[in-house]
Amino acid sequence: MKRPVVVTGLGAVTPLGTTISASWEALIAGRDAEAPVEIFDTSGCRCHRAAVASLPPLPGLSPKALSRLPRASRLAIPAAREALAAAGLLGPDGKCLLPILPLSLSTTAGGMAFGEDFLRNILARKCSRLLGPAARYLPEQQVLDLQQALGIEGPSTIIANACASGANAIGHAAEMVSSGLTDCVLAGGFEALTELVFVGFDCLQATTTERCRPFDLHRSGLLLGEGAAFLLLETPQHALERAARPLCLLSGYGHGTDFFHLTQPQPIGSILTNVMQQAARQANIKPSEIGYINAHGTATPVNDGAEAKSYRNFLNGALEQTRISSTKAAIGHALGAAGSIEAVFAIQTLTSRKLPPQLNLHTPLPDIAPALVTESQSSCRLDHTMSVNLGFGGSNAALLFSRNEN
Amino acid sequence: MKTDLAIIGQGAVSPAGVGLDALLHGKTVETMVPFVSRPDHQWPVYRVNLADAAFARWQKEPRLRRASPISYFLVEAASQALADLEPAKRGQTGLVVAFSTGCLAYSRRFFEDIIARGQKSASPALFPETVFNSPVSHVAATLQLEGAAYALAGDETAWVAALKTAWLWLEQERANQVLVLSAEEFDSASLDAYRQAGWLKETGTKQRFIPSEGAAGLLVRKAVPGDQKIISQLEDGFIYRSPAQALSAGQRCLQQFKPDLPCFQNAQGNWLADVENKLTGNRFASSASYLGEAVTASTAWNALRAAACLSSSCRRLLVPVWGRTHQIGAWQVEFAE
Repeated sequence: MKRPVVVTGLGAVTPLGTTISASWEALIAGRDAEAPVEIFDTSGCRCHRAAVASLPPLPGLSPKALSRLPRASRLAIPAAREALAAAGLLGPDGKCLLPILPLSLSTTAGGMAFGEDFLRNILARKCSRLLGPAARYLPEQQVLDLQQALGIEGPSTIIANACASGANAIGHAAEMVSSGLTDCVLAGGFEALTELVFVGFDCLQATTTERCRPFDLHRSGLLLGEGAAFLLLETPQHALERAARPLCLLSGYGHGTDFFHLTQPQPIGSILTNVMQQAARQANIKPSEIGYINAHGTATPVNDGAEAKSYRNFLNGALEQTRISSTKAAIGHALGAAGSIEAVFAIQTLTSRKLPPQLNLHTPLPDIAPALVTESQSSCRLDHTMSVNLGFGGSNAALLFSRNEN
Repeated sequence: MKTDLAIIGQGAVSPAGVGLDALLHGKTVETMVPFVSRPDHQWPVYRVNLADAAFARWQKEPRLRRASPISYFLVEAASQALADLEPAKRGQTGLVVAFSTGCLAYSRRFFEDIIARGQKSASPALFPETVFNSPVSHVAATLQLEGAAYALAGDETAWVAALKTAWLWLEQERANQVLVLSAEEFDSASLDAYRQAGWLKETGTKQRFIPSEGAAGLLVRKAVPGDQKIISQLEDGFIYRSPAQALSAGQRCLQQFKPDLPCFQNAQGNWLADVENKLTGNRFASSASYLGEAVTASTAWNALRAAACLSSSCRRLLVPVWGRTHQIGAWQVEFAE
């Protein structure tokens, strides 16, 4: 990074909890949030379960104003406020203390449930009072919701790189700070479960009707999830001037595109290896110095096999001394928010030295078996942690977080 | 921006035809399209002619067999913009694409199938093509662009965010050049959405709103002496929630630039044309024929058309970008001899 970038605030709403501490406590305790889907009908699907988040209260908003917010905004606003509060930038009125704060965000479906409503109505030849659903499904509307709720203005970028988007949004924000474009950015992702996306993964037979078992030889598919997570990134100088305590450095970011197939990674994971190498080079560390990797680990047969090979290649002889787990068995796959939520967990791992266990693991994939976090492993050497994501279209991204020595 | 961007390649697909020449001089033809909600009512639309010979070569690409029109628009525009770049240098090319509704046609078809025939009938071939970055992936794979790739979502101003992303990647040395594209495809569901927004009205003498589709893009790199067309300033993030706020946001945005710069007329058939006229005092160095409203794609068409206006007698142009849903941005393009 040309200028160092520090993380000074974190916030997350996940299916395990409406705050970071609640989610983290449940995650470390080995709990999962898998439950029947009740927010839309799944009767025609193979799979009927997902990790569904509880919507946190949004004080100060009338029921009418709440009804206008898509589920994605209901998840994003509290997570963003938690990050700002942790960074010392949230006023008592729930507004940000900085009037201008650039946003680097990610989502895949935005407010798609509103889009579904709109389509359902026009196909039924009903065409009155549809302006809200027509306008409010677009992702920039959730940006406006955030800007209004936080009382901020400024540039916003919405990255829609499928399931790697959340990591891309954070990496992009880091590059904005590092390059001198800005001194401080709120970065993160949000995703709400919707019928279109749920049915989409179901018809691809990518979701499982059993337990979600990342990196298990008998894995059978993913558990969909939802949520939101945000990080406040800034220069150390900017943090110092406002007496904010950095949690860690964002020391490396790698990203690239895998051409192999629209929905499947290259079987040996060489693009992902290259992406992780980019991040390590930028951080000026050796792969062997990385203590923990929060893996993408969707539990689909093709993803986890390629990803495991990639870790073996990247870590080379250091696989045994690195710890790896996918937290998707606990919180589900939050698609456009996955990279942000998992980055938050990678930072929590770095700062607490506690390792999220690999849930539902019975027969580990041999390529990665020595590195997977078992429930008995509670802590380890940790100076650097990584978060890795892959997405449809071949988007690959890796973020590296390092202990802040200053 | 510490470093200027040089425009070194351009590509366009529009209802006026395929290529820059068609974009600058071509003619458009209206097609009447019925509303989904009221099939007995129609509205004019500008469509890209997918039977154009230029698209035939892409139909043989395995990646594009199931792809929706937006992927064809994008890969053709990208290919034109890369035409002068040596194949050996393509590997270091970044790719950033701005979308508003993205793969709308397949998203609508996918969900319509679910409604009409039930969840069990959902198509596994369609679903991956509904994702924003699928067309980006198709372009990268078809043209062998191995560098960084982002799909960005937003209104017209996503184009400015895409240019900024290109600048960042060049600053960070992630790419030697970046292909900045925008694309949209038309689907009749959007007619219903535009009608709900109150944009489809007969307006008498003013340009009426005509939905459109297509793609366009620029290949940019860090400017060096000798480059002729230079992007020297990018501004965005001036947000609004009402027409009154849009006027004030536009004013603040344009104040970031030198006063009295000649302006490229960028809003024609939508409600922001009045805002543009008020704020620029009609100091238009140029406007272009109306190609309809294709959100990010229209913005990219006008970027190419603004660049084409530059000459020794028009050395600098302010190009406002009127985001129709939430924010206003602008950029400046210069002619250097």
